[in-house]
Amino acid sequence: MFSNLFKKRKLQIFAPVNGEVLSLDKVPDPVFSEKMMGDGVAIMPDEGNIHAPIEGTVILMPDTKHAIGIRSKDGTEILIHIGLETVSLKGNGFNTHVTMGDSIAIGQLLIEVDWTYLKEHAESIITPIVITNSSDRVIQFENIKQGFAGETVLMTVSPLSRINGQ
Amino acid sequence: MEKSFKITTSEGLHARPATLLVSSVSPFTASVELLYNNKSVNLKSIMGVMAQAIPVGALVTISANGADAEELISKVTEVIISQGLGEEC
Repeated sequence: MFSNLFKKRKLQIFAPVNGEVLSLDKVPDPVFSEKMMGDGVAIMPDEGNIHAPIEGTVILMPDTKHAIGIRSKDGTEILIHIGLETVSLKGNGFNTHVTMGDSIAIGQLLIEVDWTYLKEHAESIITPIVITNSSDRVIQFENIKQGFAGETVLMTVSPLSRINGQ
Repeated sequence: MEKSFKITTSEGLHARPATLLVSSVSPFTASVELLYNNKSVNLKSIMGVMAQAIPVGALVTISANGADAEELISKVTEVIISQGLGEEC
């Protein structure tokens, strides 16, 4: 039973949207690029919508619909922030398919995005994917250039204490 | 100890202001709660603070407990004022 538990303690984070995978320091906003919010990656979306990067529960869905927070069973919290300064769009350009407290499966449609509208009205469509409680976790980044929603693994998260024993 | 603030940042406590608040208190060992609308969350949790969806004009109370609680409150007050997130009340 314990060996099963341990095997499950590595959490794979899948791409939430199709696009070019970039390191977080490429995001032109210090909150993300300086990892103030936590470690992670960014995607410059090509097309398509926002899909679940992990299995978990929706813990944040602001009225402005421009971001979503998800918690996995192991407690890892992931914030997907769709574009920059998109809080000011007040929900325009987004259509949500889940609400707070919903259980979600990997690849499930979360938010439909009108990228044309965002390109016109937002500062950038670059979408940071941040582990907001990354300080007590180790993140292993995959060396990939292109992400496909629900298919490409972007990074693997494991608790700090497990790595020490390896 | 605790202190109350009125939020004045135009979009409320969304990603950027929440991150500024959380990173200002994280170095302290004291526990710290953010109370809004009778609901309290850990001010060291970005997701917790953002999930509160605190709008402009809201009254919030920050309460800290622990050895460095006083320094924490003075640091968070400085950040709230200097970053234009809110005002003391």
